[in-house]
Amino acid sequence: MTEQQTSLLSAEVCAAIDRWIAKYPPERKSSAVMGALRVVQEANDGWLTQALMDAIADYLEMDAISVYEVATFYSMYELKPVGKHKICVCTNVSCMLCGSDDIVAHLRKKLGIGFGEITTDGKFSLKEVECLAACGNAPMMQIGHTYYENLTPEKVDEILASLD
Amino acid sequence: MKQVASAFKSLFLLELLKGLSLTGRYLFDRKITVQYPEEKTPLSNRFRGLHALRRYANGEERCIACKLCEAVCPALAITIEAAPRDDGTRRTTRYDIDLSKCIFCGFCEESCPVDSIVETRLFEYHGDKRGDLLMSKEKLLAVGDKFESQLAADRAQDACYR
Amino acid sequence: MATIEIDGKSYEAQPGQMLIEIADANGIDIPRFCYHKKLSVAANCRMCLVEVERAPKPLPACATPIMDGMKVYTKSSKALAAQNAVMEFLLINHPLDCPICDQGGECELQDIAMGYGQDVSRYQDGKRVVTDKNLGPLIATEMTRCIHCTRCVRFGEEIAGIKELGATGRGEHTRIGTYVEKTVNSELSGNVVDLCPVGALTNKPFRFSARAWEMQQRVGVSVHDGVGASVYYHTRRNEVMRVIPRENETVNETWLADRDRYSFSALKAEDRLTQPMIKRDGQWQAVDWETALTFAADGLKQAVQKHGAKQVGSLVSPTSTLEELFLLQKLMRGMGSSNIDHRLQQLDFSDQAQAPVFPSLGQSLTDFEHSDAVLVIGSHLRKEQPLLNLRLRKAAMRGAKCAFVNPVAYEFNLPVAQQLVVTPNDWVSQLAGIAKALQTSSSNSVNGLDSLLQNVSVSAEQQAVADALLSGERKTVLVGQLAQSHPQFASLRALAGAIAQLSGACLSYTNAAGNTSGAWLTGCVPHRAVGGQAESAAGKNALEMLSEGLKAYILMGVEPELESCVPAQAERALKQAEFVVNLTAFRSAAMDAYADVLLPIALSAETSGTYVNMAGTWQSVAAAVKAPADVRPAWKVLRVFGNLFDLAGFEYEDSTQIQAELQPQLMSLVADNAGSWKLPSSLDTAASQGLQAITELPIYAVDMVVRRTAALQDTQDALSAKGVHLSAATAASLKITDGQAVQVQQGANTVASTAVFDERVPAACVLLYAAQADSTALDSWFGDVSVKPVD
Repeated sequence: MTEQQTSLLSAEVCAAIDRWIAKYPPERKSSAVMGALRVVQEANDGWLTQALMDAIADYLEMDAISVYEVATFYSMYELKPVGKHKICVCTNVSCMLCGSDDIVAHLRKKLGIGFGEITTDGKFSLKEVECLAACGNAPMMQIGHTYYENLTPEKVDEILASLD
Repeated sequence: MKQVASAFKSLFLLELLKGLSLTGRYLFDRKITVQYPEEKTPLSNRFRGLHALRRYANGEERCIACKLCEAVCPALAITIEAAPRDDGTRRTTRYDIDLSKCIFCGFCEESCPVDSIVETRLFEYHGDKRGDLLMSKEKLLAVGDKFESQLAADRAQDACYR
Repeated sequence: MATIEIDGKSYEAQPGQMLIEIADANGIDIPRFCYHKKLSVAANCRMCLVEVERAPKPLPACATPIMDGMKVYTKSSKALAAQNAVMEFLLINHPLDCPICDQGGECELQDIAMGYGQDVSRYQDGKRVVTDKNLGPLIATEMTRCIHCTRCVRFGEEIAGIKELGATGRGEHTRIGTYVEKTVNSELSGNVVDLCPVGALTNKPFRFSARAWEMQQRVGVSVHDGVGASVYYHTRRNEVMRVIPRENETVNETWLADRDRYSFSALKAEDRLTQPMIKRDGQWQAVDWETALTFAADGLKQAVQKHGAKQVGSLVSPTSTLEELFLLQKLMRGMGSSNIDHRLQQLDFSDQAQAPVFPSLGQSLTDFEHSDAVLVIGSHLRKEQPLLNLRLRKAAMRGAKCAFVNPVAYEFNLPVAQQLVVTPNDWVSQLAGIAKALQTSSSNSVNGLDSLLQNVSVSAEQQAVADALLSGERKTVLVGQLAQSHPQFASLRALAGAIAQLSGACLSYTNAAGNTSGAWLTGCVPHRAVGGQAESAAGKNALEMLSEGLKAYILMGVEPELESCVPAQAERALKQAEFVVNLTAFRSAAMDAYADVLLPIALSAETSGTYVNMAGTWQSVAAAVKAPADVRPAWKVLRVFGNLFDLAGFEYEDSTQIQAELQPQLMSLVADNAGSWKLPSSLDTAASQGLQAITELPIYAVDMVVRRTAALQDTQDALSAKGVHLSAATAASLKITDGQAVQVQQGANTVASTAVFDERVPAACVLLYAAQADSTALDSWFGDVSVKPVD
């Protein structure tokens, strides 16, 4: 069973996790759990399955529940499938004052999905997030690793069109 | 002078008449005697008579087997056994009140968090045998079913003081 | 030493102690939920906030180390305001369902809310609702009530050693649970019920059956393992409703194994025997005690007359009380027979004369916990002695090196330095290797060991175990139950003794039950009388009694057909006997077949008596409840037997009289494990054709009571203890697939079973579980077996 689970992690993923493990003392392997979760999530289309979390637990010699605890605590770990482009819209105070509600309404209408949902073609998913520290150029959203700021509905259309 | 007045009083039996006048007044007054059992005195909505277990409108018994009545009963007249029912709820499997122990203090009713155990206005009941005064859960529920409208009305009347 | 001031009074304290410890030690009440003295400090409930002078904000007493001259106010307006506010927050999401909550009446939240809560909540919005989890047959959940103190999570992580519960999500969305649907399988899982300060985790078998205030608390001792955990029986109307731990630092600390906690329900088992029964002309009839006792005595007398007293034997359970054991052996010896034994799970008796007065731990449990190196020989310690394993885990977490020699690659919840997995035939050579390695590096020596180990070579693993044993101050060599039932136990004992002597370790034995030590002390062995005095002529031991077959038996609290290590022979012997008197609490079909008299005796909660655990601790208790119906305590039954046989010394009117007689005689005896062994003349090597059987007595089948506890039988541990376990490689060579129906053959005996792939089992071995339907027809727990698939 153990072998099977570990084989869920590809050689590259294991190598990446090993780099995280190397940053901590050998008896504190479990400290690498956050890095490992991120590596695995990126390699699995942006989300984590229970089997993957079990594999990480095995790999880091932790109890599975400890991995679940970390994965459920942090909002950036996804436990359900996400779209190819995960659109994270900030709705915190600054963005809200500058009209994030309109942006959200526009996105909902355009994509036909709500927060936490995914378009039928699997291209986009929508997520509500708290402040991403770009209040100066509110409202904003994050897609992948890119920040898009000073949003207007028109600008959102442009951005979505530019994504393949 | 004092002696004269006293003699006058004694001669004409004034004190006797005074006493008899009270008797006389009651003789012609409205009678307070109640011809029980044909007639009955009015009862308070807080009257503490025979116990009953109530149900909710949907027929579900109210009692949740919290055992507060059993704990509070100063005469140790209540015996409860509980177990999870098939649907997982907490229910009594036995709810006995020994009426020959009960002192009708009303604490059980007072302690009940769900208005399940209550005391009806019924005071005229008897048992032919000793065991007849041992009320079981079935008997108590039957009493509750019989008097439910009266019980509900009595509790509604008292609700604003609770 | 520091001095601190709490509420205007000065107290002495050790630097590094937390404020709450000083307060607790001095009876100052500080409310708390997450703090528990046996668990790490989490400081996440914030209920213990107190005011500390010159601190800007109230500080949590559980996580504030003391400082010299510190001034603390636990009842100041600032402290109280903080505590009231925390209480209000905790109550926001806590449901108001105390009337249906099992914790009601003994709830820490309820109690503290009386002192610190407000009568009306200011919170207007909806409360949090959490779906319940199914955590298995022992723990009921109502997770909406959870206040996230994480005591249960920390228990799993720190004490039980397997983290099964966790806190997932965060903030409002925090949930305590297993995240995935899964039962909690720890053998100590019931402790989370005690730890939970609210009614989120409650006792499932006890669910809704009674309230804290209507029960009486009576002291008791749990007899299902050698630790003999101190318990409280909570009784109501002469009925045991539940069992909770009795805090006893020298025995069980504050913990209980699930076996101790849940087995009380067997007191009300359906097959409980409540009336004496006799078999007349093949028909069972219920009779009164007088008839039954005379019938039994007459039967025994007849057997003695016809075949002599030596043809009468007695098998007794070490879960019986000291008094019962004493009277039974007195009865047997009074009748002229020394055939009495409690060692039903032993195959090798050849060195019994050298055995210690009472083979036991030989040290206190607290001392054991402070071992620096431990070698465990033949024990699934976690399941065999859960509370002893807990002590070992503490030692291991502190850095002690723990090595194991086991027939199966058992899983552990502690850091294992070495585990040598050896087939039963290789145990002797394995231990010889370790002894040899020690011999070369140790300054101690053992006479005669040189010649014995002449041809032994040392492997790297054996050297590693030896090195581990030579490090550190306090060391223990622990001989477990699997070693004690091994067919070469005498050699194993001698080698373990040699290893202990060479390494300067304490030689320890685990005890099968709560009064095994008591059974040795009272002379419930064929070769020794009370107090370990050697008998001139030893009687027959358990194995001889069952394999050779006697004409009459007296059984007390045992089911030899299940718990003996020669189950098939046991059943055969009992069936062939002319007369079998069975003092038993339960009735079974097997008993009906072999017994002639069934005498209903009380179980441990129902009888007064004394128990001596494996650390030599004496615990005397009174009966918690009166035995039901016509059931009598066994000591009374034995007393009457004594009178019926016209034996002197059976005039006891109270079990305390027996105890008073035994205590001065036996309590002074000390465990003499060291040196109580003798080297064999040669190392016997066993060879086998085919597969070697390894039989383990599973955790929830150890005695009559546990076997009849329904809740325990539904646990994963009980459910998985079935079938023939073998590795995939072994199975492949036999053309067996996982889950296939197989036939197990040992000698002339065969049983039908199911194959279970289990990689813990070494090659050419099969792991069987004793006292199961698919193993009791086998001749012996060890030895050769063959397994073949059934089409």
